[in-house]
This record gives sequence, structure tokens and C-alpha cells, in this order.
Amino acid sequence: MSLMEYNGGSVVAMVGKDCVAIASDLRLGNQALGISSNFQKIFPITDRIYLGLPGLATDVTTLRERFRFRVNMYTIKEEREIEPETFAHLVSSTLYEHRFGPYFVEPVMAGLSKTPSGSVKPFIAATDLIGCLNFAKDFVVAGTASAKLYGVAEGLWEPDLEAEDLFETISQTLLNAVDRDAYSGWGCVVHVITKDKVVTRTLKGRMD
Amino acid sequence: METSFAITGKGYVIVAADTTSARSIVKMKIDEDKIKTLSPHLLMAYSGEPGDTIQFAEYVERNIRLYQIRNLYPLRPSAAASWIRRALAESLRSRKPYSVNLLLGGYDTASHDPHLYWIDYLGTMTAVPFAAHGYGSYFALSLLDRYHNPEATLEEGLATLKRCIDEVAKRLVVSPGKYKVKVVDQDGIREVEL
Amino acid sequence: MARRYDSRTTIFSPEGRLYQIEYAMEAISHAGTVLGVLAKDGVVLAAEKKVTGKLLDLSSAKDGGYGGSGEKIYLLNSNVIGGVAGLTADANSLINFARTAAQRHLLTYNEDIPVELLAQRLCDMKQGYTQFGGLRPFGVSLLYAGYDPHYHFQLYHSDPSGNYSGWKATCIGANNGTAQSLLKQEYKDDIEVKDAIGLVLRTMSKTMDSTTLGSEKLEFAVLTLDEVTKQPKAKIYKPAEINALLLAEGLMKKDEDTEMKAA
Repeated sequence: MSLMEYNGGSVVAMVGKDCVAIASDLRLGNQALGISSNFQKIFPITDRIYLGLPGLATDVTTLRERFRFRVNMYTIKEEREIEPETFAHLVSSTLYEHRFGPYFVEPVMAGLSKTPSGSVKPFIAATDLIGCLNFAKDFVVAGTASAKLYGVAEGLWEPDLEAEDLFETISQTLLNAVDRDAYSGWGCVVHVITKDKVVTRTLKGRMD
Repeated sequence: METSFAITGKGYVIVAADTTSARSIVKMKIDEDKIKTLSPHLLMAYSGEPGDTIQFAEYVERNIRLYQIRNLYPLRPSAAASWIRRALAESLRSRKPYSVNLLLGGYDTASHDPHLYWIDYLGTMTAVPFAAHGYGSYFALSLLDRYHNPEATLEEGLATLKRCIDEVAKRLVVSPGKYKVKVVDQDGIREVEL
Repeated sequence: MARRYDSRTTIFSPEGRLYQIEYAMEAISHAGTVLGVLAKDGVVLAAEKKVTGKLLDLSSAKDGGYGGSGEKIYLLNSNVIGGVAGLTADANSLINFARTAAQRHLLTYNEDIPVELLAQRLCDMKQGYTQFGGLRPFGVSLLYAGYDPHYHFQLYHSDPSGNYSGWKATCIGANNGTAQSLLKQEYKDDIEVKDAIGLVLRTMSKTMDSTTLGSEKLEFAVLTLDEVTKQPKAKIYKPAEINALLLAEGLMKKDEDTEMKAA
């Protein structure tokens, strides 16, 4: 039994045209036994950055609290919000600090970074459990349904999707991938981040 | 084998735990109270490795009490739960982790609502409408999926609990004999007889 | 002879006094005034800035972070605003301590630190410097304007000795006696934020040494509850917003009015 599969759960993030989306399932299990159908694994870091933490649930909570602490201290001392690229390296170095006794999570992050011209640039990234960064240009997946997510995302994703189309793409990708995974599912939550707002929607899923 | 349940309802949480204390295949005691009163509005049912359970439960009990003495008001259920979870999560990566599973039921006197947290020995925590630990959970959770009502009165909640206990008694080979049942609501904590 | 009891904070004088603490308090009573008023639905904080000069570069403060010019009023946590009077360098160190303490509470208990607890954390440290190791006490008094679910809106004051107390309205720094008697006359128990803002600004304009009231001399902050989320919302005013507020309250000097229009 791997600790990465002990509680179950999956996260996916996708790039669109001047927008990004990140989505996860809501299941928390004890191996095959479902415990909760409302376990959030995606957390807002700033108004424009969201972090998904699939993996061992105790580490999900611990890391969420630790990142909140680090980012709050950064924000209050720097008097500005952290940029997605900077945050990605914070995640990476935090995980690598525990190289030989790791946190069992595979973080996925999505955000919009500011460009010098004042517009926004979509940003997504993922790391493995010891913090090796993967800056993808299309989509990133993680969790117990990651193999299935790759397949569906490969088929459905296309470049330059508008916010509403990106929402549909990421929702269908996640919903269909977790239906083929026994350890993920029990409802989904989707965040679509655009320049002036974040739209969060909770989706119903199969409860089996 | 050890089993504990907890159910939220309209303005209350019911916490129930079996009262057997066993070593190997032998029952050593049949009236053990495995639900601790942590503060005037907070209950904690504990189960797991004998020795660890009592040691950890008393450690939690004393620390929650210390906070209350120092700060003149008790921790809110969510804050207490987060503190306890952190204690278990840190213990998990220590030389000798505590092997204790918890159900934490409380009534928040600041926001006036009941809270229930499912916590395991790894430090996994989630807020739930109903919860169970031990072999009984395999029977009770599916039953509660069907019969739990967050708006139920205390009488209805106790009737639902009775269903869980009866189901476990009927189907589980190693079912416990007796349960202790405690309720926490606006007025505080009290024990009830089923 | 009395000087023998001045050099160490930790030594009592024969009359049973700790001179260094009293000197620290004296230093504070010359610092810029900080004034706080507790209302039914919020807390209001205002502070007088002493050092200003045309050559001081304030560009970072104009559009920086969470508002304020970062001299007198600081955000300590999402539910607490702090106002400081005294030595700026000491204050910076205390503010950093307060922010870390608040975040540590959030980390262990997953809730915003209760206001009184934050005041206690700082006072524990301030008290330590009156007792241990021949060090100088912090030359800083603070006002804490905060909200927590236990006691809702609160206003606390702490001094260099490590004493703290809760207030409905209070004042620290220069002319605090005058301001306090003014507040005592005008304060009403069921005052609302919009009236408290007026009370604070009027008291401020009467106690401040300078004749003109404007953003270059004043910092201002209000803590209320967000109507939608019911979470505490700290607003530290930016210079332009302070000028607009003073104009609306009719407290800005006439000649300044024309300047504003010209600009």
C-alpha cells in the first residue's frame, strides 16, 4: 500500500486564453472506505493563485497551514502579494527540505502572473513529492486518477480556450477521469481564475 | 472490537463509544469511559492502541484546560480540533507515534452551532455531519448515509444512533456489548441512557 | 545619588520606582498622538505623524501594499490594527513580533488570534525587558483595534512596563490628557462607526500641535465587519482617502481646499 493512495483524491490544472482553471474531487477516504464527501484539497493562496494538494490527507492539512503562514508573512513584510513563479519555488524548496522523509503530496498550482505591460499571463505548475518543478504550457495533473486525467485531458484540451470553454473542458476532464478511479470522486470543485474575478463552482458527481 | 460513533443534529452532537477494555481476546473491563470532557462544550471519543489512548487523551485534556485557565475562555471546537490534529501529525513523524483515533464533538458558543471532527492517528482531520471509528464504521456509515438528518431533534438523533448500535450488534462478529452515550449542546455536556 | 538607580531597568530606587520605565513613558508622551475609539459596529484609529519634510520620499507609501504610510498605523493581523507611539525603531521590532505571534496562533489553532491574547503576547515580552539583564525597555505604547468572535470589537492599550487595559476610547502620545478628557465628554456608549470617525477626527484636530489637518500629518484606519462575509475588514486609509475624508467631515483648512482644487 502506498501512502500516496491511502486517502485518494486528484487535482488538475489547465491553461486558457488569459485565464487558468484548477479543479479537484472532494473525496476523503480510508483506503476503500469513504469518510467525507467535502474534503477540500484546493486552497486560495492569494486572490490570483490557487494551490491543489492531492495526497496523504494529514500532509495536505499540514502543508496548507504552513504555506498560509509563509505567504502571510511574505505579504505583510513585502507589502505586496506573492507572484505565482515565486510561490512555485516556495513550494518546491519547502518540499525539498524534507528530501529524506517527504510530505506525501504532489502539489499543483494555477495562477495569473503580472506582465510589465500590465496584462496577465497564465501560469500553471506541478511538483513531485520532493519538489521537482514541472512548468507545463497546457495542463498538469496529479493524484490517484492522474493516469486517467492525462488521457482525457490529452483528448479534450486545446489552446486559447475562453474562460467558459475552459470551465467546460476541465470539468468534463475531471468528472470522466475520476469515474474510472475508485479512490477519487464524490463531487468536484472547479476554480476558473480570470483577470478580474475567480469563479468557483461545485459539481455533482457519481456517489459510488 | 472498539467502535465509536458521533452524529450531529439540530444544535447538538451525540458521541457514543463502547465500554469494553480488552487485552488480546480477553475482556478486562466492561465499563470503561472512552469519552473525555475537554471543556464545557467539547467531547472527545478516543480509541486505538491501549496505553497510547489514555496517555494522549490526558495530554490533550490538560493542555486544553491550561489554555482555558490562561485565557479565561475555552478554545472553540475548531481551534481545539486543529491543535489536536497538529499534535497527532507531529507525533506521526516522531520516534514513537501515538496510535490514537478520535471523534471530536463540540458546540461553539461564539457562533452557536454544533461541530464534529473525524481525526485519525495520522493527523487526518475532516469536519463531517456524522462519523465512526473501528469495525463498526463499516456498518454505521452506510446506515447513516440513509438515515442521518442534520435537522433532527435529539430524540430522533438518539433513535438513529440506536439503529447503528443495533446493526453492529446484529452483523459484527466481535460486536461490543455496552456503549456510553454523551450529548453536547448549548447547555453543555450530559450523559444519556439509551 | 538618584542616578545610581537610573542606569539599570532592573533595579528599584529607594522609593520603589523603576526610573527607566518612567523615562520611557515620558518619551512616549512627546511622541505623535494616537487615538482610538471603540464603536458598536467597529473600531476607529487615528495617528499624528510628527516628522515630515518636503524631501522625505513617500512614493512607496502612496501606492504601497495595504495602505497607510507605514509610520504609525500597521496591520498586525487580518483582525487587528495597531497604532504606535514612541521610538519608531523599537516599534518596528514589536510590530514584527506581533505579526509573527499572530501567524503562529493561526498556524496552531487555525483561527485568527483573539485580540486580548495578542496584546498579552506583546506585554509578556515588554515585561521581560523591565526585569531581565540590564537592557532598555521598549520605548513604545500601542493601541490595538481588533475583532474576535469571543468579545467582538475591542480596543486595548499597552505601555512599556507590560501593562495592558481595554478601553472604549483612549489616546496615547502628546497631549493625551487633553484628548482623553475631550473623549470622556463626547463618548456615547452606543456610538456607531460613522459617528466615531467624526469624533476621532474632531478630537485629533483639537489636540494636534499643527494648525492644519491633512494626509501629510495624519494616519487613519477603521476596522469593521464585511457585510457579506461577516469577517473583520481592516481599512488603513491611503493619503488621498484621508484628504477626501477630512474634506467630507469639513475639517480641512480653507486654503488647503483651494489647493486641492487647483491640483
